[in-house]
Amino acid sequence: MTYQLCLYVTGNTSRSQKAINDLKKLCTEEFQDEYELTVIDVLSQPEAADQANIIATPTVIKSLPRPILRILGDLSDKDKVLFGLNIEPSGSDGFS
Amino acid sequence: MSTSESKLKACETKKHILIIDDNDAVRKAFTLALEETPYEVDGAASGEKGLEMYQEKGYDLIYLDLKMPGLNGTDTLRELRKHSSDVPVYIVTAFHKEFFQELQILEAEGIAFDLLKKPVESDQILMVTQSVFEGPTVQDAGH
Repeated sequence: MTYQLCLYVTGNTSRSQKAINDLKKLCTEEFQDEYELTVIDVLSQPEAADQANIIATPTVIKSLPRPILRILGDLSDKDKVLFGLNIEPSGSDGFS
Repeated sequence: MSTSESKLKACETKKHILIIDDNDAVRKAFTLALEETPYEVDGAASGEKGLEMYQEKGYDLIYLDLKMPGLNGTDTLRELRKHSSDVPVYIVTAFHKEFFQELQILEAEGIAFDLLKKPVESDQILMVTQSVFEGPTVQDAGH
């Protein structure tokens, strides 16, 4: 199964880089190579953000596997991010 | 821990939010959206006043309007970052290229900020604020 994620950030600032690094780390640890991560800079592509109905940065949208889910905010807490995207942490028995 | 110690700790850890916007209705909308939360919300009607309040009190989160008379949002943020490099700042703006030109200059200067799309609804204000203080927040598909 390939996970499809899209991360919307604001430019290439330190805050954006942190969000990108946090999400990449999570993807590598949880999905190994089985993921596609697209990063969209809202400053460069406001139309894309509009189309995706982004209200704030950073926002992550998981489009696959279904259901489509989105979370916004700090991505440094891996467990909270996985929970928000309804993804069971690897090596766990699921959410309790 | 005694009751008075608990109250003191709660006071010390209480999060403070500053809304900088020249529009009274916008500041009021943010205040109303956050009134049931444990966060303390202050408003500033100009960039100059916002900077003054930040230096006096310090804040944990700032919502900043882009278009203001006097010191506009980008200049306010430049001044703010001279004092604090890490306080989260959301610039509240419509997602249009014409508004983003100034923001791209800020970004090129290495000044960090996030965006909150205008117009903003009260549940969105709450959701974004909670995501700053309590970790990532699930956004309903309808928003």
